[in-house]
Amino acid sequence: MTHLGLRARASAVFAAGAFVVSASLAAGTYQLTRQSLVTERERTATRAAYFDAAVVRQGLATEGAAVVDVLRTLDTGQGRRPLVLRGGQWFARTADTGFTAAVPESLRAVVRDGSPGVQRVSLNGVPTLVVGVPLRDVDANYYELTAQTELQRTLRQLGITLAVGALATTLAGAALGLWASRRILHPLASVARAARTIAAGDLTTRLDPARDADLAPLTDAFNEMVDELEVRVEADRRFAADVSHELRSPLQTLTAATGVLANRRDSFDARTGLATDLVVSEVDRFSALVEDLLELARGDRPVERREVPVAAALRSVCDAHGVEPRFVRVDARLTWPLDARRFERAAANLVDNAKRHAGGVTSLVCDADDDVLRLVVQDAGPGVPPDERRMIFDRFGRGRRASARGGTGASDGTGLGLALVAQHVAAHGGTVEVADADGGGACFIASFPRGRP
Amino acid sequence: MVSRDDDAVPSVLIVEDDDRIRLSLQLALEDEGYVVTAVASAEQGLQRQQSAPADSILVDLMLPGMDGFDCIRGLRRLGDAPIVVVSARDDTHDIVAALEAGADDYVVKPVRVKELSARLRALRRRTRAAAPALPVMTLDDLEVSPEAGEVRVAGAPVSLTRTEFRLLCTLMEQPGRVLSRGALLDQVWQYEFGDERLVDVHVGRLRRKIEVDPAQPVHLVTVRGLGYKLV
Repeated sequence: MTHLGLRARASAVFAAGAFVVSASLAAGTYQLTRQSLVTERERTATRAAYFDAAVVRQGLATEGAAVVDVLRTLDTGQGRRPLVLRGGQWFARTADTGFTAAVPESLRAVVRDGSPGVQRVSLNGVPTLVVGVPLRDVDANYYELTAQTELQRTLRQLGITLAVGALATTLAGAALGLWASRRILHPLASVARAARTIAAGDLTTRLDPARDADLAPLTDAFNEMVDELEVRVEADRRFAADVSHELRSPLQTLTAATGVLANRRDSFDARTGLATDLVVSEVDRFSALVEDLLELARGDRPVERREVPVAAALRSVCDAHGVEPRFVRVDARLTWPLDARRFERAAANLVDNAKRHAGGVTSLVCDADDDVLRLVVQDAGPGVPPDERRMIFDRFGRGRRASARGGTGASDGTGLGLALVAQHVAAHGGTVEVADADGGGACFIASFPRGRP
Repeated sequence: MVSRDDDAVPSVLIVEDDDRIRLSLQLALEDEGYVVTAVASAEQGLQRQQSAPADSILVDLMLPGMDGFDCIRGLRRLGDAPIVVVSARDDTHDIVAALEAGADDYVVKPVRVKELSARLRALRRRTRAAAPALPVMTLDDLEVSPEAGEVRVAGAPVSLTRTEFRLLCTLMEQPGRVLSRGALLDQVWQYEFGDERLVDVHVGRLRRKIEVDPAQPVHLVTVRGLGYKLV
């Protein structure tokens, strides 16, 4: 399930609020206006009907006057229709088109009993007011139908206006919500920026606490967190430096002293000579192991990229590891934003791996498209079985074939070479994998995406 | 200061406070044919170099009393003998600071003494190993006499360390040609595979000595993504 974003939710809430307020206001306004208009119109219509009734009574009181003629003397305009019920017979000015039927029985009963009455009916879909006035002395009942067409139109217009107003208010509420949430979220963008800078390794970044008093708790907490982080990182760094110093110092003594022993190897007897060989080769191996471990320990440091001439970098690696130039194919003009030291270490470890465990490099190709630089190293070994293709990049994750072939002394690696390759490549945001080479053997493919130098 | 490039018995001064490391380095370097003087502090090292200058010097960075960086600065004032830092610290910060202070090279412990010895041999040269005797070279107001080991900028002599001199000669021999950091490491330090910070810091040091405005170099220019050239 996906949750709506804060901004979407804020504008939805603002819109809903604006809708409720504006809609109830509109409904209230409509109701009140309608009521007062209707009452006003009814009063007017009733007054007019009473007046007309008085005129009709006077007319009918005159001996021999015809009811229709009397009705015709009324000045009623378009909206009003006078009717007279006399002796069970209806009289009107024009032909009856359902007017008489529109006078409800209940009203007739009231008027028959001698009281005036008013009732609202619908005549052919038009709301109509029926006013009934008993004319006792002339033995007739007067009814007047007043169509409320104009009122209806007015009310409809009012309704539309209010609805449009409510809709506009709702939209304005949504817009306000969006704007407000954006304003509120704006400081979070600077928090995000700061967090990213810190993640990139700059621990001196802090938020400006003076910017907004309301955000002080967030700013303070953030800055405290970074302070704490800086202290810890510094402590880790110092520990790593101490460990590095404490491991390297005795190794320096051992390396120099075993060098002296090795120089005199020929003057030793056989047993002392063998023991010397063991010490010398183990000191070498231990030095390499410490070097790799220390490198692994600081591998999470960010890369320092700059445009590196790839061919030159790989040439120095290949020269140092005795890879023949005929196996190497790199465009001499190719440059790529890389951490030169870590790229060279990754390449050197791949070459070293081929040399130690797989009979040497048979091909080293490096090329790039727009986005990715690919370094492909093939060897002459037995290849890596599919179930070991992940594991060989783990720390000390030697494959079966590598350990089976793992000879004695100096030819044995530290078991960290490929883990370091994976780490250096990952630091560049890339990946390394192993596949089968075309002519047998393993094929290591390291990709280095283009990053900003 | 007497140049002793061709001395049959080169001398080396070791400034290292760890007794065992000092002794083992001394034994091993003596095996390599050096006359070794080993001292335990920067103060002793400076005193020794003043009274009986050695051809080259190994310095540790973490020393009691005066630290390695100040020791390097002091030694640099005493002469142009190559200084190699031999330290257990491998922070970029330390490496760059030591090179800025005047060191010619930086190796991280543990280092094989045969390698160290090769380093020292390469650093003692004023010019490239394979270079034939070079004539006096000029470029604008820059004048380099490889034989005499002299550099003049607008007629005024400038004092360079051996490594700075070798770097300048290497660039001067190939004016206008872009030399990659790798190529310079190879030709100046004889490293097949090494730390490019060496090149960058030495280029900076050289600029401060031969450029009018080191921040806006006109002779020793950076070619982005490729390396450096002298124009």
